[in-house]
Amino acid sequence: MIDARQIEQLRKIIGKENVLTSPEDMVSYSYDAMNLWAHKPDCVVLPVDAAGISAVLKFANENNIPVTPRGGGTNVSGGSIPIKGGIVLVTTRINRIIEINKTNLNATVEPGVILQDFNNALTKEGLFFPPDPQSAAGCTMGGVVAENSGGPSCLKYGVTKQYVLGLEVVLADGRIVKLGGLTPKNRTGYELMMLFTGSEGTLGIISKITLRLLPAPKAEKTVVAVFTDVAVAGEAVSEIIAAGILPAKIEFVDNWTFDKFRGLLPDKTLDTCQVILLIQVDGLKETVEAEAQQIFSLCKKTAAEVKVAGDKVEAVRYWAARSAHFSDISSRAHTIVNDDVSVPRDKIVEFIKRGQEAARRFDVPLSFAGHIGDGNFHPVVLTDSRDKEHFARAHQCVDEIIEIALSLGGVISGEHGIGLEKKRFMKKAMDPVAIEIMKKIKDVLDPRHILNPGKIWEDEADET
Amino acid sequence: MKPDLSFEQIERFKADLEKCTKCGFCMSACPVYREEKIESSVARGKIMLVRAWLSGELTPTDEMAKALNKCTLCMACAQSCPAGTQVPSVVTAARADKAGQKGLSFPYNLVYRWLLPRRRLFGYSVRFASWFQGIFLPRTEGSIRHLSYFLSALGQGRHIPEIAPKFLRQSVPEINPPPDGVPVKFTVGYFTGCMTDFVFPELGQKIIRFLNRNGIKVVMPRGQGCCGAPVFLGAGDFKTGRKMADANVRAFKNLDYIITDCATCASAMKDYVKFLADTDERKQAYTEYAARIKDVTEFLVDIAKLPDSAYRVAPEFKGKTVTWHEPCHLGRYLGVKEQPGKILKALSDIKFVEMADADQCCGMAGTFSIYFYDLSKQIADRKVANIQATGADIVTTDCPGCQIQLIDSLTRHGLPVQVRHIMELLE
Repeated sequence: MIDARQIEQLRKIIGKENVLTSPEDMVSYSYDAMNLWAHKPDCVVLPVDAAGISAVLKFANENNIPVTPRGGGTNVSGGSIPIKGGIVLVTTRINRIIEINKTNLNATVEPGVILQDFNNALTKEGLFFPPDPQSAAGCTMGGVVAENSGGPSCLKYGVTKQYVLGLEVVLADGRIVKLGGLTPKNRTGYELMMLFTGSEGTLGIISKITLRLLPAPKAEKTVVAVFTDVAVAGEAVSEIIAAGILPAKIEFVDNWTFDKFRGLLPDKTLDTCQVILLIQVDGLKETVEAEAQQIFSLCKKTAAEVKVAGDKVEAVRYWAARSAHFSDISSRAHTIVNDDVSVPRDKIVEFIKRGQEAARRFDVPLSFAGHIGDGNFHPVVLTDSRDKEHFARAHQCVDEIIEIALSLGGVISGEHGIGLEKKRFMKKAMDPVAIEIMKKIKDVLDPRHILNPGKIWEDEADET
Repeated sequence: MKPDLSFEQIERFKADLEKCTKCGFCMSACPVYREEKIESSVARGKIMLVRAWLSGELTPTDEMAKALNKCTLCMACAQSCPAGTQVPSVVTAARADKAGQKGLSFPYNLVYRWLLPRRRLFGYSVRFASWFQGIFLPRTEGSIRHLSYFLSALGQGRHIPEIAPKFLRQSVPEINPPPDGVPVKFTVGYFTGCMTDFVFPELGQKIIRFLNRNGIKVVMPRGQGCCGAPVFLGAGDFKTGRKMADANVRAFKNLDYIITDCATCASAMKDYVKFLADTDERKQAYTEYAARIKDVTEFLVDIAKLPDSAYRVAPEFKGKTVTWHEPCHLGRYLGVKEQPGKILKALSDIKFVEMADADQCCGMAGTFSIYFYDLSKQIADRKVANIQATGADIVTTDCPGCQIQLIDSLTRHGLPVQVRHIMELLE
């Protein structure tokens, strides 16, 4: 617990307008985008530059105060919840786009820039940063890197780590360190940047980011295909990839969220089918047209309905319906237990079938959606945390789905991170030697364990 | 003693309160969050505060009131919400329950409950206050706590037009028929908001002349008053709001259409039924009233269906470059998006340039800009940058509230861009 004197010191360090302490503000920084966890901090600081982050961390380190870094707070793994109290350090006020360089195909941004604002700025320059988490309208660049975010486009373009060229990071003791650089090729020493990319705020706080960019694709085309059966849809995905086409995105939603597609697709189809595939190809206009036609023909063989979006407006409406999936599902139950497993593509159909079987066995409603093209799924169990018995079954079901994914050679988290949500699976999912090395790295960079405590590791490990 | 914890209004919008899944899609849309970057500013944060208030975790403190007041009700969050959460409704209802639980503070209680519902007296008060405009009122940078009169408070440090020497209602008759020889095609009631009445009476006169010339008889009922927006939407005083709503419904009883030149007034009056209908009679009366309300551009384009040739630019604006700011209440609330553009494009003697983010809030939002003038200015600065980028000589809009904000902001930046209501452009 922070005392009044320490709060006064924090006010002196970064200015009183950048320190929040009211009960209202403590509630405001107690949650993320899920309903599974909440914990209030003792105070919230909003530094306006790297020096401010550094000063706060130095102070917190000297006084053994937990610091939970937070950007937009749109994460779904509990990563930004101040589970041990202390300080929430919010980066949203450090939010300049420092440079967008068309010749170097790179951009340097501060951590508090909202991804969507960054994308808007890039669009004006004809440039493109592919990772596209569905929270783009709220998530910040610092969070995108610290969570190593993915999204639909990662099928073709890879995840955030493939785009990080350089980072400036503030370490737990307040030292500011520059890693990487501006060039796409850089073979200087160990890839320390990668330690912080995906570190979930446990190793340092990112204060500046240089990202590799791509020229924006000249054309895009969206194909929408509706299937009566999830497994059949999974086979269609395999066929598309086998045909030598690599779409930018292959997404799917199940009939839990078909309402969002009403008016876009015939009611009769929606009433009788189980799954919608959304496929986007991008590139040169001619290529895109040809690939869209090829995908259309492949899907036609087994789909109940296939459409190529006539224009951009129509395509945007399909993708908006897809984006709404998570929020739509969330609004249908008091609590949802969400998963983020990733399985090899040739195990997709088996994974879905076994997952559905598990849901039937535990008698819980399960919605499947996600990035089927790269095998990254977001199965969601709809439950109610107030109904202890149902809630327990929901957790058992999710645990089993994770076991299924692991048994098929998959991973426990494709893009959401471990946070609070998946730390109980870490020992199962990772080589014990790797965990030991990770803990040693943690000890080197944050010896007092002030940074985002209670995350990634099981609690007993946290206390060592 | 247990405090009075009535959530009468919030309960009515509980579905919206529960819909929010905290996904954060509202974050890049919210004009207040864009400036402040703290969670209590954004729609999601406000929802969570109201939930905590309902659960008893928080109480309606001044901090809570501040968070609730710090919303321009621009509706951008609702537009980007995948769950369809109407956050502005929750905020408005929460303001009402806060007012119910804690009362309104002085001097707002006096102004809202007593002065605003009395149109004539309000007018005189404004006039009285205007004498002191610029003499006693210091340039303040913080939120203004002790304003003596609602409208004059807008003058604190602001560059705003002076209160008109003669109000609209004093300069035009109640019934305004078309000139001789022009047949009457429609008869409409003209709802003149406070701004047009007290600050921009020449706009009102122009609108009446334009409508008359096109065969539209204009009735300006004397019984009309303030739309009530600052009272029930801004301060959450639903009781006084109902009195004002009832007075307006009575005043426009037998008219087919109620034309407004202020998008805020129009949408506030359309929202009577949503917030103020506490009885079946009121529900019916407000629903029926709402159906007759038309923004002036909407009326001209969709109902009167004037030909393009009816729109001619007034000589003083010929050859000018004109851009358009879409008021939140016009586009997102009333759904009037295409009509103003249609009129502007029909004006052959001007160059119409579209502005980036034309539909983003200008930061005025009535009482919001009095409580949080600095914040309001920051929001406006982004609008100014977008106006400047168009190179326009004139920025036009359809809401006198926005007009005041734009005049203030452009003057602050020393930019020679004129601010005009779209109807002022017409001959």
